[in-house]
Amino acid sequence: MPLDAARSGFAPPLSLRDVAVDAPDGRALLRVGALDIGPGEAVGIRGPSGAGKTTLLHVMAGLIRPARGAVRWGDTDLATLDEAARDAFRRRSLGLIFQDFLLFEELSPLGNAAVAAAWAPAAERPEIRARAAGLLDRLGVPPGARGVSGFSGGERQRVAAARALAADPAAVLADEPTASLDRASADRLVGDLLALARERGRTVIAVSHDAAVIAAMDRVIEVADGAVVAAGAA
Amino acid sequence: MTALGDLWAALPAAAQDALLLAALLSPAPVLAALLLRGLSVGGLTGALLWRFRRTNLLFAALMALSVGLGAAVIAQERALRQGAARAADAFDVIVAAPGDRLRLMLAAVYLDPADAPLLRGEALARLQADSQIDLLAPLAFGDSHAGAPVVGSTAAFVAHLSGPLAEGRVFAAEDEAVAGARAPVAVGYSFTPAHGHGPLAETDAHDGVSLRVVGRMAPTGTPWDKAIVTPVEAVWNTHGLANGHAPGVDRIGPPFDPDYFPGTPAFVIHAQELWRAYAVQARHDRGDMMAFFPGAELARLNALVGDVRQAMSLMATLTQALVAAGVMAGLAALARLFGRRFALLRALGAPRRFVLAAMWSYAVALVGAGCLAGLGVGWLSARLLSALVEARTDLALAPALGWPELHLVAGFFSLTCLLALLPGLAAYRRDVPSDLRETA
Repeated sequence: MPLDAARSGFAPPLSLRDVAVDAPDGRALLRVGALDIGPGEAVGIRGPSGAGKTTLLHVMAGLIRPARGAVRWGDTDLATLDEAARDAFRRRSLGLIFQDFLLFEELSPLGNAAVAAAWAPAAERPEIRARAAGLLDRLGVPPGARGVSGFSGGERQRVAAARALAADPAAVLADEPTASLDRASADRLVGDLLALARERGRTVIAVSHDAAVIAAMDRVIEVADGAVVAAGAA
Repeated sequence: MTALGDLWAALPAAAQDALLLAALLSPAPVLAALLLRGLSVGGLTGALLWRFRRTNLLFAALMALSVGLGAAVIAQERALRQGAARAADAFDVIVAAPGDRLRLMLAAVYLDPADAPLLRGEALARLQADSQIDLLAPLAFGDSHAGAPVVGSTAAFVAHLSGPLAEGRVFAAEDEAVAGARAPVAVGYSFTPAHGHGPLAETDAHDGVSLRVVGRMAPTGTPWDKAIVTPVEAVWNTHGLANGHAPGVDRIGPPFDPDYFPGTPAFVIHAQELWRAYAVQARHDRGDMMAFFPGAELARLNALVGDVRQAMSLMATLTQALVAAGVMAGLAALARLFGRRFALLRALGAPRRFVLAAMWSYAVALVGAGCLAGLGVGWLSARLLSALVEARTDLALAPALGWPELHLVAGFFSLTCLLALLPGLAAYRRDVPSDLRETA
């Protein structure tokens, strides 16, 4: 199972086959014939605005169930799972980072990073909190601050990165993680994120317009007009 | 069903009320157990409550005000009813000339000024001959002093009404008087009664008459606390009437001589046993006299205004329902404001039940705080209302939040707990990618 694989140090491979996502009005939003991402790979997704990059990332995360096709993480096909099962898969196996951080302003950095403990089984909560605290420490964020509202963009995104990794997921999916950051903060975040993921053999998939982010990945996937048009080296 | 019904009927009233309260409150713990099982929403809910503390305080305060006023109105109505009934306790039977019983009851028990035809000597003779009457006291109204009614009666009536005096002694002469516990005169004070009541009272009508206060009654919690009681002979003399005794008889109090009895608007009768009171009432409620139980008249009055009472209860309940609807509308708006947070939680893998539980516990914390504070507001409002009513009626009221108010608040709380599922369910069903995108 994905979680067991993740805990033992192996991220499951991701494979998309004949995936089709349509808008409610029937318009095609995304078409993917075949796309494979290996365990522990760092993959960038780039393309023009509106090309379908975020939709592709949401399909990979199970936030959107495609009308057709298969989205397999190892043996698990997200396209066949209902919403509750996809939620369960996501909380066990995936970590998400968003463009504008999406932190809970009312929670402390540690409260944000360890938010998954709130719905985790009681036995796993101390472990998640301890890992979140360790990640914040490693990323240079003071965990005990009262809230995150006074934090800089870079600090916020580092809290978000700690949150994505706190449950020790098999893969981290990031949507424009550096879009709101200055160059130095962006470089630091990407460096830290890739280092942490590689240490544990985790897969990283990042949608980005940022050439430096894309360059830091193992390979890049090009998306245009709702279709994957190329998948090659970064 | 019958066995259960019998069991229920056999329970003491307090146990029935407590069980009803528990039943009314039961949805909240049941829902909490179902929704919060295995989740730890307290940190997030607490942080959200703190973050929006001003709005939350306003919410809770409005709820507390509404809940409190609803409870206070019901508590106050009950306190007034009980206070009025207590005031009539000392008046077993009232005998008067045929007329409006309710009017006479208000005049005798609550000292509400009224003109009434007088009972004459024949009536007195029949009543004095009745061996089942333990206390027969004429009441003579019409005068006042410093806003306090001056009522003529007997020393035995004063003792019956007050029990042991708080100060001084009962009057023993025609020119003496006993003050009610809150009457605006001190022991030793002398005064001339005015004829009539209120602003139209004629202060010089009884010039030359002087009454001296020789005692003060213990508090009775009735309008009699503000009255000044004099020997009934003093009232008759003051008005230039015979004093109830044959010439040469130099005493006050019963028995009175029917031939020299100038008349009285009402007699108060007390009989030691209830059955005797019923017998006396039945015997004298005929012909040129009416005899009635003030308690029965009060019950009739309560029955007449019963619909008003029910309307008040209904209004209080409807108000709570409207407040609940308002709270839910506010929470629905808040749920939309929280849309991005909830979408984020879902994106991070939180089960849908977690989102529902977070929204529900947030709402229930607000409603619970509002209800608890509402009980405090209700208690305080009932006290304030009672003080106002006491000042106006001189009835001693004992306002307290009772079971009906607790049931009302518990019902409101549980209804709101159930309604609080709606904004949570609405959040539960929202599309996560849309919320993440639209509000980003």
